[in-house]
Amino acid sequence: MRLPHAQVALLEAADADDARRIDALADEAGLKPETATGAAFALEDEGLLALTEETVESATLTDEGRAYLDEGLPEVRFYRGAIDAGADDEPAEMGPVIGAAGLDGAAVDIALSNFARKGYGQIDSGAVSADPEADPDSDPEAAALAALADGESVADEDVLAQLDRRGLVEISETTVRSARLTDDGVTTLMAGVEVAETVGQVTPELLTSGEWRDVEFAEYNVEADADEVRTGKTHVLRRQAENVTDTLVGMGFQEMQGPTVDADFWINDCLFMPQDHPARNHWDRFALEQPAQIDELPAALVERVESAHREGVGPDGEGYHSPWDLDFAKALALRGHTTSLTARHLSGEALGELEPPQRFFSIEKVYRNDTLDATHLLEFFQIEGWVMAEELSVRDLMGTFTEFYEQFGISDIQFKPHYNPYTEPSFELFGRHPETGELIEIGNSGIFRPEMLEPLGVDCDVMAWGLALERLLMLVTGAEDIRDVHGTLVDLDFLRSEEVLY
Amino acid sequence: MPTVDIDPDELRELTGHGDKSDAELRDDLFSLGLEYEGETDEGHFELEFAPDRLDRLSVEGIARSLRYDYGDDRGVYVPSTNDAEWTIEVEDTPPERPYVTGAIVRGLDLDESSLDSLIQLQEKLHATMGRKRAKGAIGVHDLTMLKGGAANVTAAPPQDEAVDDLARPDADATGEGADADSATKTITYTGIDPDSEEFVPLEGDRAMTPAEVTDAHHIGVEYADLVAEMDRVPAIYDSIGLFSFPPVINGKRTEVDTGSRDLFIEMTGTDQWTIDHMLSIVCYALDARGGTVEEVAVEYADGAPGEYAGQSFLRPDLGTKTKTVAHDRIEAILGVDLDKREIGDLADRAGLDASETDTDGVYEFEIPPYRVDVLHPIDVIDDLGRAYGFNTLEPRYPDVSTVGGRHDRSKLERATRDVLVGLGFEDLLNFYMISEEANYERLQVTPGSDVVGGGDPVTIQEPYSEDYTMLRSWALPSVMLVLENNTHRSYPQDLAEIGLAAEVDESTNTNVAEHRTVAAAVARHDASYEDAKTRLQAIAANFDTELATPPIDHPTFIDGRTAAVELDGEAVGVVGEIDPAVLVEHDLEVPVAGFEFRLDALE
Repeated sequence: MRLPHAQVALLEAADADDARRIDALADEAGLKPETATGAAFALEDEGLLALTEETVESATLTDEGRAYLDEGLPEVRFYRGAIDAGADDEPAEMGPVIGAAGLDGAAVDIALSNFARKGYGQIDSGAVSADPEADPDSDPEAAALAALADGESVADEDVLAQLDRRGLVEISETTVRSARLTDDGVTTLMAGVEVAETVGQVTPELLTSGEWRDVEFAEYNVEADADEVRTGKTHVLRRQAENVTDTLVGMGFQEMQGPTVDADFWINDCLFMPQDHPARNHWDRFALEQPAQIDELPAALVERVESAHREGVGPDGEGYHSPWDLDFAKALALRGHTTSLTARHLSGEALGELEPPQRFFSIEKVYRNDTLDATHLLEFFQIEGWVMAEELSVRDLMGTFTEFYEQFGISDIQFKPHYNPYTEPSFELFGRHPETGELIEIGNSGIFRPEMLEPLGVDCDVMAWGLALERLLMLVTGAEDIRDVHGTLVDLDFLRSEEVLY
Repeated sequence: MPTVDIDPDELRELTGHGDKSDAELRDDLFSLGLEYEGETDEGHFELEFAPDRLDRLSVEGIARSLRYDYGDDRGVYVPSTNDAEWTIEVEDTPPERPYVTGAIVRGLDLDESSLDSLIQLQEKLHATMGRKRAKGAIGVHDLTMLKGGAANVTAAPPQDEAVDDLARPDADATGEGADADSATKTITYTGIDPDSEEFVPLEGDRAMTPAEVTDAHHIGVEYADLVAEMDRVPAIYDSIGLFSFPPVINGKRTEVDTGSRDLFIEMTGTDQWTIDHMLSIVCYALDARGGTVEEVAVEYADGAPGEYAGQSFLRPDLGTKTKTVAHDRIEAILGVDLDKREIGDLADRAGLDASETDTDGVYEFEIPPYRVDVLHPIDVIDDLGRAYGFNTLEPRYPDVSTVGGRHDRSKLERATRDVLVGLGFEDLLNFYMISEEANYERLQVTPGSDVVGGGDPVTIQEPYSEDYTMLRSWALPSVMLVLENNTHRSYPQDLAEIGLAAEVDESTNTNVAEHRTVAAAVARHDASYEDAKTRLQAIAANFDTELATPPIDHPTFIDGRTAAVELDGEAVGVVGEIDPAVLVEHDLEVPVAGFEFRLDALE
């Protein structure tokens, strides 16, 4: 018969007459106890071994027990202190004895109660008298502690129980298995057993030689933790951007791209933002020092935009009563929103004239000279989207956003009428946080004003919206400080451990 | 967002709804678009206002909007005005600030809170329409302290013409020559040498010249910039003398307090339309307080600077304007069917008047003068939508069919990132703004040098902090910063980033060349050139591009262990072992090998 090595060794070590403990057999067979136990069960299944189980109490020292092992039991130390103070002759004052024994705190009470219990002497009105006959060297509790520390067992159950009560040992129950050869086992052994080869690893040689058919594969502990392996991972904010991109592409949106550094003309003037609008002042925007101006703007468009600012559009239109200056429009800045890309696309500058219907989006960075804090960054990703069609209503706008946000688990969208210089009607979007249920602002939207669209040469309706990607991420993941996510202050452990979004 | 403070008790009184609870008022205000931000120490509501409705910068205007919302008021209201007794003569004004307007309001009974409200309205108008007083500044005076001399009305040119000129863009102005002639008391808006005349300014205890005010008075110092460039500064006189130095400060003589019953309001500025409309908003607010508005004649002398020399007209101009809107357009934008009666009703509730025109299905809407936000018929449609209740509209997904898709660049970027991540790189996302020190100096690169990352910096005029003064010219410095900030984390640290890099390039229209760059670093106890090159090779192979790495020098890398990244024969980047001096500069105690190249080289 061929059996795995461990089973053969165990079988050979086992006895037909006496049931022997498996740990003893393991020791003899040179096996690890857990390997031997596994082999014993396998041999029991084969009918070659009979197993029996018993529950055995074992005691281990507690920290306190170990301490007394080194220092001596408090009552013994007290007794020796008392003898030194001559208390075997006549009663001695307790205080000096305690001091001489080096006892303090709880150890004093422990010493006193056990001193009397064990008959080492008596205490009467603060005076100690010691029994000269007592023999602290043969204290059974001290002896039991020493025995346990040496791995021996303690036969006297009363002493063990006493140590347990004193909290010096911890008593636990373990199951001990013993094995005995069955008759079949004896027969099999007599007939001879061979060790079947076990292998740790499937090798190319094993496969090509066909040897794999004859070998036993060593068992693994399949539950044990494996070594850590580190994966590369897409940044969580990028992952979020990819998810939004997937959603928008699925909804029929095409992606825009365009310059980060752009003329104020494309960033603001094309959006019918008056040049003296407070948001165009230096403290909100990142104007460039070098270079300072764009070379060329489309002359005809500039003329139409200036006219819209000055005169408005349409028969009843009114312009702004604000200055308009070409140099101001040509000044370069880091874009404060990606609506500059929208302006470039609507004007035909980016891709040529666009015919309705169209849907476009971008997820690109924008730059605001705002306060840097847990929810505001100087640069962040703006999700920009717009729809161009012959005729669009605010209901279409609401329907589009409701659909979009549903994709991210944000429902119950509310539309608060709002003001933007370049959209009318305009709405701030509020949604319920999927976790907290709180109503929070999640975007800004509207239908582009005629004063924006007419100069750009668009004669149909365009609705648009913008949202910070970081805001969406915070909503989806519950992130609290966006500075931990975006930027060079990121903690690699965060990137390594952050859950993958999908 | 700017805020305005209002007393809820005043709101209850002015709306006539004494029974409304604070909570109800807050809900009603939210539906107007005025968000409750909190409570002030006095228990007033702090409301965030949308910067279009400047007529709601005070409790009076907010109460008016609520009364329309509640249906207590309907349609356009224009306060009646009494004929002018006073004239503002305009001559020799500073050309930088040529315009003035004014009104008188009589019979007021101001208490502390209504006076506070007036002051707040003045401040908020300064901050918004007035562009911090540069475009328009308001002065409010106690009329009883003013003494008018005989008006020189004979110098005034024919009035009708002047009225027409100034009527843009509104249809009708209220000015009439006969009224202007009847004004007999005169105030003069002019310009003076800043050292020539003295007056006692508000919050001052002695007579000062305008120059002394801008030099030494705490309010004067704050607004000194507005008159710093002027040879002659704005000044307003009555027959007693100088009483106001706009846009800086009024005189103490005409200071308004709770005992003031009749007010003289003047506004000066750089745009007549702007100050006239600021004035309308103030007159509506004081009318709501029970005052009676009285016109003032404004007469520009023949040689006066600005557009109106030789013209005169009556102010305030409380004339309405009109916008023509087609029925179809209203239905199209709101996405609902409406009948004529409903549109009339919505207009009434928005404080507008709708009337049908000769053309079927076209309405003319009358707009009151405080509605400075209405520029186009679309604004009227928005008003109708608000009155209808936008939130009652049923969302619908638009029946518009389009084909979606990614931009080619973003497809390439995603594919490259996938390969980097497959190679085990942790993908980074850093700021594109950086400091010159981090971008160049700490990597030993000289700005304007002909190496990867050495391009001229695109710099920001007024950076938020010294850490963000330019757009990065390459991404390796950002990756090095992440390594520097994570020296306490376990190695190996294999980091990569695909993102923006930019440099000055005068051959482009914006004078900035922007491109996407791929940067990567391998940091581990035994990192070497080989580690960078092997990964670079894998990337090149995955995109079927030919990689060559001829040796070059680059100040960031160790000489002899640095190569150009050539993809399909074009030099597009650099690969090498980072110079120990750069490592030590970044507090690193392990070697780092890295590379950076243009993303578009993989196309």
